[in-house]
Amino acid sequence: MNVSALLDAGGAHALEFGWLRDAVQPASEYGLRVFAGVRPFAPGAEEAAQARAQRIADCATAFDAVRLDAIRDALRTTPDAAGAIARASMGDVLADAGFFELQRFCDAAERVDGLVDGAAGIAPVLCAGARIVQEALEPGRTGTYEFYLADAFDGALAAARLELANAQAELDAARGRTLARIANRLRRDDVSSDEFIVMRVDVDGELPAGVRVLREAPTYFLCTVELDEVALATLERRDAAADAVAAAEERVRTSLSGLVAANAAQLDAAAIAFGELDLLVAAARFARQHRCTVARVVAEPALSFEGGRFLPLAVELAREGRAFTAIDVALHDVAVITGPNMGGKSVCLRTCGFIALCAALGLPVPAERASTGLFDEIAWLGIGSQDDQPGGLLSAFAQEVVRLRDLLARNPGRLLVLVDEFARTTTPLEGKALLVALLRRLGERAACGLAATHLASVAREAGARHFVVRGLRGIPQPPATGDLHQALAALAASMDYSIAEVGPDDVADGDAIALASLLGLDAELVETARRHLASSGSASS
Amino acid sequence: MHVGREILDLARAAGAKTTFVVGIGKNVGKTVTMRAIYEAACDRELCVGVASIGRDGEAVDAGDAAPKPRIFLRRGTLFATAREALPRSPAVELVALSSLRTAAGALLYARVAQGAYYELVGPPTASGVREVVDELNARCETTVVDGAIDRVAAVAGIPGAIVVAAGASAAGTVREAADAVAGLVRRLSVAQYDGREDAVYIDGAFTATRAARLIAARESRQIVLRDPTQIALSGKAASNAFVRLRIRCLRPLNVVAVTVASIGRERSFEPRAFAQAVAEAAGLPTFDVYAGERAA
Repeated sequence: MNVSALLDAGGAHALEFGWLRDAVQPASEYGLRVFAGVRPFAPGAEEAAQARAQRIADCATAFDAVRLDAIRDALRTTPDAAGAIARASMGDVLADAGFFELQRFCDAAERVDGLVDGAAGIAPVLCAGARIVQEALEPGRTGTYEFYLADAFDGALAAARLELANAQAELDAARGRTLARIANRLRRDDVSSDEFIVMRVDVDGELPAGVRVLREAPTYFLCTVELDEVALATLERRDAAADAVAAAEERVRTSLSGLVAANAAQLDAAAIAFGELDLLVAAARFARQHRCTVARVVAEPALSFEGGRFLPLAVELAREGRAFTAIDVALHDVAVITGPNMGGKSVCLRTCGFIALCAALGLPVPAERASTGLFDEIAWLGIGSQDDQPGGLLSAFAQEVVRLRDLLARNPGRLLVLVDEFARTTTPLEGKALLVALLRRLGERAACGLAATHLASVAREAGARHFVVRGLRGIPQPPATGDLHQALAALAASMDYSIAEVGPDDVADGDAIALASLLGLDAELVETARRHLASSGSASS
Repeated sequence: MHVGREILDLARAAGAKTTFVVGIGKNVGKTVTMRAIYEAACDRELCVGVASIGRDGEAVDAGDAAPKPRIFLRRGTLFATAREALPRSPAVELVALSSLRTAAGALLYARVAQGAYYELVGPPTASGVREVVDELNARCETTVVDGAIDRVAAVAGIPGAIVVAAGASAAGTVREAADAVAGLVRRLSVAQYDGREDAVYIDGAFTATRAARLIAARESRQIVLRDPTQIALSGKAASNAFVRLRIRCLRPLNVVAVTVASIGRERSFEPRAFAQAVAEAAGLPTFDVYAGERAA
């Protein structure tokens, strides 16, 4: 899955594309190959994007979680037979492991077809060519899932193996007699046919016939056994029988490989279908698990949704036993969002980007209802991109400016732009001027976007619509223990994260000093700040 | 006497399903020891699994082209090896394909259909070794592993037996070899901790620095490590630590025997004197795999 045409690295980081990629990743090598080729749908492909999401949603509806898991498990445990198919198609005689992989693949395809059972309009994976290969390999099945180039493949193979078994038995007997005789002479229980030590004190006269001394030492001999003529003759017969078995086995492999080659095109198609099913099942599990819906994909640069969630955060909160407040947004142009610290402005931007990204990838989106266009680029400016990391030659402000410069130079046709406190690190006056100019430029380009800021009057001066996060319903008391988790829980309980459109000049409360107090900042410092705010407020009025 | 049978009996008496052969160095008779135990298990008509940590059974050493002991596996034996190390003939029963990778390709499990020489290639990680041992044990009555000390942690805490192989190749003198065996056996034989007593838990390697600090602090509580392979001490530092600290572990190992190979490529020791010195130093049943004898 590659979204580099839609999102740059900073945007991918801000929208947690990696989380999404992992969440919809298939389980098998077949699926991963298809997955690697997944690209976002571009403007103009609205129908295809919506159709794909609908197919995923249908699959999520047709199968319950247990069935989806069972299908995924069957896909995950299937060895990759693509290499064997390719080698056979190019004339290679496959090794037995290749046949084993093919047999396991055909078995898995059959099992998956049984689990799918034609539901959700999914066609069977096991095609006629795959069935031919499966049947041809059947004599090799031992146990449930084991494979052996069995005698049943070819009568000549059985005869050759019988000959080898007889020859091996003769050799073992001849060698056994030699070893037993030597062991008896040396008064030992046994001797190895390889190297062994005989202590001089244990030798009564000469070493037995058939013992060759490799090394002599003052107290011992290092010896080996030499086979006598009878044993050597049986060894020769055994080696000839082994060669005959090898040749017979190779004939069976050649024949089976030819059959695989003749059906390679169909096997390839089955492998691709297997991968596509894996991809579909992974997306359906995602949609089912996160209660995603199919967005209406429209031909305009617009984005609106009700009950939207930024899934990476929602999942993290759920893990801590907390709930994500779903939000409603309707964007068809450039708008501004203001609100208190920790009120969810950045999350609102991320939710917009995440939903647009899901729709672009043909996935159901995490919202109760959604309608979105397809974009040539989803751009992220400001806090949250990787560029915020310290280090490098550029300051934070310079990094933002360079990102904006590059975005304007790329001049993407249809743009969704998400701006999080752009130019916050320069003077408020100049920062605001830059932000207003940026929003006007984006408006001229008919971009769709949302800019979060704490600066006043930006919406009015840019001629943009204005949304606010409703914010604190009251000022929560700091926890007596000073515990940060308790403070965050108190804050979450008091915060109304929902979003409303307001007039361009409406001012959202910052509540920064109250939040600082809640988060345990020194009380005296907080009080000084409050006094200073009050005095500067009265002075300015 | 049958050395393999004696060692197999010691392992089984200790309740071990897996016998892990480790050496004090290279060319110390590990494969010969493993082969002896394997043959004994086959003679007892046990269903046997065999595996290696590295690469064993090839005709010559890939590193120095010296001849290596080959491994003849009998019909019915289950073994783990790399796909590329499997001979084309005789065909084997393919039991399972593993997701583990080795230096010679993907690992698979196979059952011998026709007795022949096979190469054993094993996984490079301790977790991979654990998977191989579990897979073989699930299908066999006993498993023999041609192992390595740095991978022995994989069998810590499971019913397994360790056999230490010592040889003339790995030491300059009989005394050096005996000391090396004694040190290794002592290290691998660290007892299980007593949960009722106070303990200091050590996460990671137990180094000389850590040991010195604990000794200086006159630490009298149990020093508990994950398993004996976490002890990164040797020589006098190890001797001191074992005398002055109560070193214990969560997952103990069970060393049941020592084997000696008195003949090496560059030097040889007098067999009986060598076996005797090692037996006295290790305090364990000690066998000469080449002479087919047990040290008195």
